[in-house]
Amino acid sequence: MLQYIIRRILLVIPVVMFISFVVFYIIQLPPGDYVSSYSATMSAAGDVMTQVEMDEMRSNLGLDRPVYEQYLVWVKKIVLHGDFGFSFNYNKPVLAVVKQYMGLTLVVSIVTMVFQYVVAIPIGIYTAVKQYSAGDYFFSGISFIGMATPNFLLAIILMFLSYTWFGDPLLGLFSNEYVNAPWSWDKAVDLMKHMVIPVIVIGLASTADLIRVMRGQMLDELNKPNVVTARAKGLSETRILLKYPTRAALNPIVSTIGWSLSSIFTGSTITAIVLNLPIQGPVMYNALLGQDMYLAGSWLLFMALLTVLGTLISDILLAWLDPKIRTEFRGN
Amino acid sequence: MKRSKMMLVLFVMIAIIAAGCTNNNSSPSATNESKEKPTETAAPVDNAQAGAKEAPAFAALVKDGKLPKLEDRMPVAADIKIEEVVDEIGQYGGEWKMPWNGPSDKWGVGQPTEEALFRFNKEGNKVEPNVAKGYEVNDDSTVFTIHLREGMKWSDGVPFTTEDVIFYWEHMLKKETFGKKIYDAYYSVDPVSGDRALAEVKKVDDYTFTVTHKYPSVQFLERVAIDNKWFFAPKHFHETILPEFVGDAKTLEITKSWGYEDPKVFLVETGYYDWLHKEIPTIRAWMPTTDPNSDQFVMERNPYFWKTDSEGKQLPYIDRLVATKIQDPSQKVLGTLAGDYNLVVFGANDFTVLKENEKKGDYRIIPWTQPAWSSAGIQLNQTTPDPNLRKLFQDIRFREALSIGVNRVEISEIVTNGLGEPIQASVPEGVMGYQEGWKDQWTEFNPERANQILDELGLTKRDKDNFRLNADGSELTLTIIESSTDTAAFLELLKKYFEDMGLKTNLKVVDGGTHFDMKYANQIPITTENISVANVAFRPDAIVPLRVITPWFGHYGLYTQSGGKEGVKPEGDIALILENWEKIKASKTQEEIDQYSNEIIKLHMKNQWVIGYAGPTPTLIAASNSIHNIPTDMVWADEYRSLGQGHPSQFFIKQ
Repeated sequence: MLQYIIRRILLVIPVVMFISFVVFYIIQLPPGDYVSSYSATMSAAGDVMTQVEMDEMRSNLGLDRPVYEQYLVWVKKIVLHGDFGFSFNYNKPVLAVVKQYMGLTLVVSIVTMVFQYVVAIPIGIYTAVKQYSAGDYFFSGISFIGMATPNFLLAIILMFLSYTWFGDPLLGLFSNEYVNAPWSWDKAVDLMKHMVIPVIVIGLASTADLIRVMRGQMLDELNKPNVVTARAKGLSETRILLKYPTRAALNPIVSTIGWSLSSIFTGSTITAIVLNLPIQGPVMYNALLGQDMYLAGSWLLFMALLTVLGTLISDILLAWLDPKIRTEFRGN
Repeated sequence: MKRSKMMLVLFVMIAIIAAGCTNNNSSPSATNESKEKPTETAAPVDNAQAGAKEAPAFAALVKDGKLPKLEDRMPVAADIKIEEVVDEIGQYGGEWKMPWNGPSDKWGVGQPTEEALFRFNKEGNKVEPNVAKGYEVNDDSTVFTIHLREGMKWSDGVPFTTEDVIFYWEHMLKKETFGKKIYDAYYSVDPVSGDRALAEVKKVDDYTFTVTHKYPSVQFLERVAIDNKWFFAPKHFHETILPEFVGDAKTLEITKSWGYEDPKVFLVETGYYDWLHKEIPTIRAWMPTTDPNSDQFVMERNPYFWKTDSEGKQLPYIDRLVATKIQDPSQKVLGTLAGDYNLVVFGANDFTVLKENEKKGDYRIIPWTQPAWSSAGIQLNQTTPDPNLRKLFQDIRFREALSIGVNRVEISEIVTNGLGEPIQASVPEGVMGYQEGWKDQWTEFNPERANQILDELGLTKRDKDNFRLNADGSELTLTIIESSTDTAAFLELLKKYFEDMGLKTNLKVVDGGTHFDMKYANQIPITTENISVANVAFRPDAIVPLRVITPWFGHYGLYTQSGGKEGVKPEGDIALILENWEKIKASKTQEEIDQYSNEIIKLHMKNQWVIGYAGPTPTLIAASNSIHNIPTDMVWADEYRSLGQGHPSQFFIKQ
């Protein structure tokens, strides 16, 4: 298995190289560049730049060089200095921008993920065990609605309700007075208060999805001979449930955990914009819109890297969880 | 066996987290009851401040010896700028809370806090000294003597003197260190030879300097008030970063230490957009205290601010300005309704929702008029490359047809909620250049006449969809290229009316940067862009083709800009506009300037290159009912620094 893992890791390198080139090329594709979108924004504010000023800015930023040259410079800096370039929008190194938003992004994503599993797994088990009961219909109905509702729409509805009931749409992750305040208990409470809507909104679709998966898997497992045998032996119902079918049903869920890696680090985008969350998603979206290419490029590269890593982790996890798969490896 | 234990542990963990999570979920209802808005940091001396001449926070600092006394922070008594309050003398305290699009929206916080050397008066037709104490001009408008305020200081306590002006002129503006060319205002033009000469700036004493022009420059002060309001910079700061003083290597090092990559970009950020950086001393009423890239940008009151109200209380009244970053314009509306923001600027399209919630949100809407010619209109690129289109666009009859073929009443009602009158694009009443009767030119809805004109133009052939073809049988399509979807409702109506006339119309939306590039490449035949001109002589870009910027004159602008090397040579009335502009630049008196400006406007009235379908709508200021002293009868224009024209340092929040 170690050999397998090493081989997989080595394969990651050319894949990432290839992705980085494609990413850079795609970012260059749309007409215009950072300078034209910047000057358009500035002229909308009455601050008009002349052609000469624009040309000068282009050469300052190195945007007048050919694409492959820009790419090589970028890659060279990444490899040699770990420098991912410079964000034009923020006037900061890309890594500093990423770092600025990473903390809250991780908090939101991880809490959301925990929320998903904590809600979905017990409900999934419940709906399978009590198949066709009122509770099953209720949760199944909810989960179908959850899967079908676009996140951002739900965000708008919840914000509206929060505004009409409490007079506060709970925008952002902090109340005004806490945004720049140092961390304190009150600030943490404020954060939790503001997290309720984002967590529900971002988590709902995958929660619903997980409920469906869990329910289906459980139904498959519930009547397997080993379960029947255990029951015949007189084991308690709870014990049987946890020891056999649940464990088997977790298999597909565990195997997809790795894939959520990239979404953990970027967080959601559209929902985050609607809810005004200071996380990575919108930062990347704006970088793409404003043709802030090193920031956008680095982000796409990270995401690609995380997806590749995530798949690797999933494979390893699966091998660890499922003896059958592990045997297959050994069989090599 | 081991693994089953592991599963159990996992399950227990999940259970624990679940318990923790449900706790979190129930907390909002609990915290919402108490609604603990943490300590509004209300001034401890509350209403005892009646007689106080400075903010309580500063009084406390002075008492502790951490800040010089008020008299030592202000200019000498005779040189203090007394700001007239709009309604009443205010009280200290509170926050100006506004939504902000982040550092890309530099001017959003820049304009309202700007303190110009000379600023425009309320009517917008003259300038008055602001940072400057006063000025004298010689008879032929060549020598301007400008006085500064003795004892005035930067926000770090360093005196503000002529040195700061001379330094800015010699080492920044003339050296072009911050990415801008020397502003036009500093050149004077010889009416006979057309020779352009750069002014000379000389120090007289610590608080007086002169600007000497070779040729008369009647509007020098007004043009400085537009081009270069900040005719000064903190010498003691810029001396420490400019390569001229510290050497290129050191500047690069400083650039890196500020987190910037390129020294040129760094010098633009510090030399031009200086209000965003807390390291740079300022003379604004509020000075930055946080990183503009964080989620909230906070500006705190400047202890050395040099203005008082008529009772001698140091301004500003409001403690700090808090700009919270938003990601979507709807959050601006939502936040205003919820009371998260207390002084916010809106366009007219948000009027209905704002008005509906005025009571509930406890704010009021103050409309400021705009000097715009229209709120819904189109510009036909007079130099569009397609010869058939160009011929049509340049034909005044075609423009008339496009104008009368559209029902303005409908556009006014649907697009502007009836806020914009159903009139032609024209100079609004009260703004310089107003022409009697212009607003009613070609406004009557008359599709028969419009069709008749189009037939007269030779567009009689039709294709199978019954759309008109060019006289030579080629396809005729009007392509409207937009940079946002904001105008979708208007353009949909317009498309309908145009197609009713048999003119095939396409709408195309591209992103802002692309639109900008296409404009430079002369690839935009038609677009909506409203002309807004406070005064032709001050800022002519929208109606005089001096460079590539406004879509209607397309590459005529490039011709002027490149000195005739590129672009399309202006002819006829366009050439006349340019002639008049040359005359304005070389004018010796205000009367001459007014006369030629009026000529330019009249040419626009005659030709109607810009067609309007609904009159200008006001800019809406949604201000919490607790904020006072916001003037209600002002003009909103970039030239007057938008909200800055209301003199925000005297706004105050009633506790």
